[in-house]
Amino acid sequence: MNVISRDASNYSYVNARVRSRWAALFGEEEYDKLTRMGPSEIARFMEETEYGPEINALGSRYTGVDLVEYALNRNLARHFEDLLEWSQGTLYDLISRYLRKFDAWNAKTALRGVYSETESTVIEDDFIHAGEFGERLLTRLQECAAVEEVVETLEGTLFGASLQDALDDYEETGSLVPLENAVDRTFYDNLLRGLNATTESGTREFVKFLQAEVDFRNVRNAFRIARSGGEMDPADYYIEGGRLFEANELASLVGNRDELVARLRDSRYGDEVGPALETLESTESLIGFEHALDAALLGYADHLSHVFPLSVCPVLAFVLAKEREVDNIRAIARGREVGLSQEEIERELVML
Amino acid sequence: MLEFIAFVNAIAPLLNDVLLPAELSGNIQIGLAALGVGVAALGAGIAEGGIGAAAVGAIAEDSDFFGIGLLFTVLPETLVILAIVVIFLVQ
Repeated sequence: MNVISRDASNYSYVNARVRSRWAALFGEEEYDKLTRMGPSEIARFMEETEYGPEINALGSRYTGVDLVEYALNRNLARHFEDLLEWSQGTLYDLISRYLRKFDAWNAKTALRGVYSETESTVIEDDFIHAGEFGERLLTRLQECAAVEEVVETLEGTLFGASLQDALDDYEETGSLVPLENAVDRTFYDNLLRGLNATTESGTREFVKFLQAEVDFRNVRNAFRIARSGGEMDPADYYIEGGRLFEANELASLVGNRDELVARLRDSRYGDEVGPALETLESTESLIGFEHALDAALLGYADHLSHVFPLSVCPVLAFVLAKEREVDNIRAIARGREVGLSQEEIERELVML
Repeated sequence: MLEFIAFVNAIAPLLNDVLLPAELSGNIQIGLAALGVGVAALGAGIAEGGIGAAAVGAIAEDSDFFGIGLLFTVLPETLVILAIVVIFLVQ
């Protein structure tokens, strides 16, 4: 832990602000209240919280679930822009690398939207304006008519080359999975490229955090593939950089959930993911399993941010927790809209 | 800090005997003690830098932190006050 940072990173300032915003995240009590409300009540409740400015700004244009949804996306973008605004030096570099994840999200949103022939305004609403993609690129993306066109538009970006490579697979199978996977893999490949984890202070913790994320993503991908029952080889969808599994190993573990759970429990993630693993063993559904994995990752992120208080970890853990909160509120609002019961909605939430 | 005082105490009679007349060696003692205060102040400054940055961050999010932020920021200042005691010890 560097008390005097050598690289002009302002860890203490950023972390103090992040901690404060972290404390403002919803807890069990708020979720409990929210699951009992109708969509317009949710919007009113959120007006009293730190989503207030967004709800007020959008309140005249939208109502109900739409209002909640747009306010959530805007709030997310505002928070992440703030992070970049505050940070300096290596810290800025690391956060901006990580926030490219929203470029990946936007690229995937465009692909999915165009694939399912969604209207361009709907696609636009789902973009999160927090990454490197500029307004103009996003506008061009939402106006594309075909998936091939999206790939072409993205040519100049980080994802260009790998999307081109995956295009053949897409044309062969007609499924978006190869393209989406190409986006994810490019993102993770670039995340760690050019970072010297052994010598540079600050990046060490960053790498640790990301290795955990990659590990969890690998597990999730493998299980999805196994569930879908397709002929796809899990090794093709393996993301490099994790510490827990090798590509070939993962394929064999997928068939055997007990072994995988045992493996996770014995790993470095064991202490934090313990409770989540219990859910893992008891639930049969894939969604329950994925939610338990998400919660486990959140727990581990939280642990890392306590072990390395003056590092990039608390910031990244906040990004994860904030995203999770936004997903949760969205799930509640959507769930109430279609009339799911409280228990059903609670099952959809990811909580620590 | 204690080691430093011990060091000054040990070296002063030595200098006294070998090199310097009595009135000069007293000045050296005080001079070194003053240096000690300076070093302590430097350390306090470094510590306050980090705490101050964090405190300003917290205040920016919630101005209720002002009082407690200020208190934490000046806590390392106690180092300097303790270092000043050394001057009175060697005098």
